Amino acid sequence: MNLTRRQWIWLASVFGTTQLVRGQEAFAQEPLFAEVPPSASGITWVHENAISPSHYLPEALGPGCAFLDFDNDGWMDIFLVNSGPSDFWKPTKPVRNALYKNNRDGTFTDVTEKAGVSGAYFGMGVAVGDYDNDGWPDLFVTAYGKCILYKNNHDGTFSDVTEKARLATPGWTTSAVWFDYDADGKLDLFVCSFVDYSGVKKLECGNNQLGKNYYCVPRVFKPTTSFLYHNNGDGTFTEVSKGTAIARAMGKGLGVVATDINNDGRTDFFVANDTVQNFLFVSRGPGANGRWNWEEIALQAGVGFSESGRPRSGMGVDAADLNGNGWQDLFVANVDHEMFSVYENNKDETFRDVAHANGVARSTRLLSGWGLKYFDYDNDGAIDLFLANGHPDDMIDNYSMQVKYKEPLLLFHQGEDRKLHDVSDQGGPAFQKYFAARGLAVGDFDNDGALDVLIGNNGAAPLLLKNNAAKGNNWLGLKLEGAQCNRDAIGAKIYWTAGGKKRFRLKNNGGSYLSSHDPREVLGIGTASKIDELEIHWPAPSKQIDRLTNLPLNQYVRVVENGGIREYQHAAASQHTSKAS
Amino acid sequence: MWKPASLLILTLSTITLAQSPQELVQDALQKQQAGDLAGAVPEYRQFLKIHPEATAIHSNLGAALAGLGRFEEAVAEYKIALKQAPSHTGTRLNLALAYYKMGRIAKATALLVRVHTEDSNNHQAVLLLGDCYLRMGQEKDVIRVLEPEIKTHPDDLAIAYMLGTAYIRDKQVEQGQVLVDRILRNGDSAEAHLMLGSAKMGIQDFAGARDEFAKAVALNPNLPEAHVLYAQALHLTGDSDQSIKEFKAELNADPYNFESNLQLGAMARQEQDYDEARRYFMRALKTRPGDPAVRYQLAAIALDLGKVDEARRELESLVKETPEFTEAHVSLSMAYYRLKRPADGKREREIVEKLTAEAQAKQPGAKAQ
Repeated sequence: MNLTRRQWIWLASVFGTTQLVRGQEAFAQEPLFAEVPPSASGITWVHENAISPSHYLPEALGPGCAFLDFDNDGWMDIFLVNSGPSDFWKPTKPVRNALYKNNRDGTFTDVTEKAGVSGAYFGMGVAVGDYDNDGWPDLFVTAYGKCILYKNNHDGTFSDVTEKARLATPGWTTSAVWFDYDADGKLDLFVCSFVDYSGVKKLECGNNQLGKNYYCVPRVFKPTTSFLYHNNGDGTFTEVSKGTAIARAMGKGLGVVATDINNDGRTDFFVANDTVQNFLFVSRGPGANGRWNWEEIALQAGVGFSESGRPRSGMGVDAADLNGNGWQDLFVANVDHEMFSVYENNKDETFRDVAHANGVARSTRLLSGWGLKYFDYDNDGAIDLFLANGHPDDMIDNYSMQVKYKEPLLLFHQGEDRKLHDVSDQGGPAFQKYFAARGLAVGDFDNDGALDVLIGNNGAAPLLLKNNAAKGNNWLGLKLEGAQCNRDAIGAKIYWTAGGKKRFRLKNNGGSYLSSHDPREVLGIGTASKIDELEIHWPAPSKQIDRLTNLPLNQYVRVVENGGIREYQHAAASQHTSKAS
Repeated sequence: MWKPASLLILTLSTITLAQSPQELVQDALQKQQAGDLAGAVPEYRQFLKIHPEATAIHSNLGAALAGLGRFEEAVAEYKIALKQAPSHTGTRLNLALAYYKMGRIAKATALLVRVHTEDSNNHQAVLLLGDCYLRMGQEKDVIRVLEPEIKTHPDDLAIAYMLGTAYIRDKQVEQGQVLVDRILRNGDSAEAHLMLGSAKMGIQDFAGARDEFAKAVALNPNLPEAHVLYAQALHLTGDSDQSIKEFKAELNADPYNFESNLQLGAMARQEQDYDEARRYFMRALKTRPGDPAVRYQLAAIALDLGKVDEARRELESLVKETPEFTEAHVSLSMAYYRLKRPADGKREREIVEKLTAEAQAKQPGAKAQ
């Protein structure tokens, strides 16, 4: 039997793995995702969750993480968010974020101190974006306490420009996302606000059985309104949610993804809320009095509540054209027994939950999902799904028979039947382990065209997983560079044809939980030997359409709006060793 | 756990009409006393068509309906009886009991406070009031009403458990422990574990309740409600597989157990097994005709299956009867939007937001700071 990896996974999902594993020792030796231990990566940083007997809720929610190329050398670096001083915790030893520079050999070097991104508050998540269009990624770090905007100085250092930028967002912020809502070519910023945790006396929730405090269910805390900042183009931002649906929506935001759910060319965004309904803010364009017109449609769209009309504990979230019909589908992860949702776009601003049909509901029934990502992990051209899980209550093992604090990772592969199949059993040893996972970022740290995965674990070391699943499939990596549109080209539409199949991807931003991803787009084409055509529809204001042919394969290229391919970035030597049969 | 406070025996001395109404009501009374509640209900109703002013019969009919689990109908009858005889403590207690069983604890409490004020020696009322306070987290009120009771009923395990729990939650741990020990010294019976489990469920100690119910089931698997209570606790502590087995075990003994049919139906619906779900729900409706929770589930299935107008009709009826039923407003709003009635959808959505804000305002986080 000589199968491609994709075929093997599909057969395994249909017929079970036992008989397939016999005689397939090669796969057993090389898991789809291989753990890169700290001894190999040099990433020795460990998240400090500040866990206390009082069990203050912020302890349970971090950390986020990111892949970014902060020094523009073409190699993904890593940023990890840590907790820090707060009104309920004073660290007895130094606690800081971590920025790891990619050494281009599978190892990383901690450059945090030099870069000046240690943090100062009880950090939560990170959103990476080039807000000043200078070609260098900047960092926005959310926190319980105060957010920080780190501007990239182009020399390996960053400056805290939060106050100057007028982004000193108060309260407890979680996920954030950069996108250009008004199509003026500059990235704006949406920041999720969680609950009202202000005040000197923090609420403690006693536990009758163990006599210990446990993490309060967020239901007990007051909801808050999130923040939308307009980029003024001069290094400052203006909070513009006042008078819009965003200001009226009282939520407990944890996850956000910016996308276009109705294909009108305007960027919408979906917010996962904990214990209150989710929000789907649809952009209706410029409104009266200079305000942008946002409409919150989650209820009528069928993505606000459970199928029983109840709000759930929304945490991780993402969007992608899962079924290849040109429309963005959504995903939201909840806590155990609430079921995760795979929302298929009905093309009329409504969605239907197809989690059961995809086998996602059954696999996730006992799990609580945080970081997650829709991406094509094996470069066969179809979107797959990676989920990082962990129950928020660290004492859950004491009073639940089935639900555990540390939970396994899940990997779903999209089969020829266009359904997601749980292939976690084939994922590798990391999928047999249990984690208090929170943030999840995807990025190709070794430039082999296979998107790797980074997971932030609460109170523990991060998990770096090297992707081996894409070998044998061809790909092209795009680093899109906006000229008139925002430099990160958020909102660009990419169409490519290979092997007789035309595929589409919208360059969304955000997604997952507290985390930020490799900004490059990897286009998988399976075993096809060339990309016949590539079309890039740049977002407004230009709405330029670039058609590219004679494209290279299995390497990254830099594509400039209305400027074509400007630069080839050759992949790592180890990539693409063989073609599939 | 609770039985109706009183069954009113009407002498019918004032009824001087034909013989048949008197025979009718006497037959109904005999049936009710013999436990044939389903047989008693139509006879009471028939009698009340002739004598709607018969307060005691309204109350008796309420008790029969409550015994059948038809609480909405029972409440209607009790209310008529109370309107006709506002000072009747027994009917008020029965109405409170019906609300209690429907989970409308605040309404039950208000009635019980009045019963307790008018008749401080009514042991059942004070027990029920203590339990309501406990469920609402009002420990100091539990202590206030039950401290005198434990002195006159030192062997009453229900009082001991509720008062002990209230002491512990009120940080009076030593006093609480004394009462807990008293409970544990009183032998190991399925009933005792069921009671302890029920009390623990009431204070949301689901894992503790689960363990108590497990012991109850082990000691006496035929004890009514033992499996269903165990199943609920298992579900709440995350063991859905075992929970389903226990709900099914209850149905083996009692195919029309309402809670088992409702929960199994909801689980089947969650798995999108709509035919199976409908089977369970229809059986639940036989036990409690018109039950809002079951009707909501059936409406939600209709919505899931694209029968939007069918769903709308049922949901409109539900929100009219139970205006605070948030989930029904959510689904009704969605139904209106799907029927291209955005103004109605918006109106329902605003109701959802209002109800959500009201519920949020009652959360402790609203007061903690």
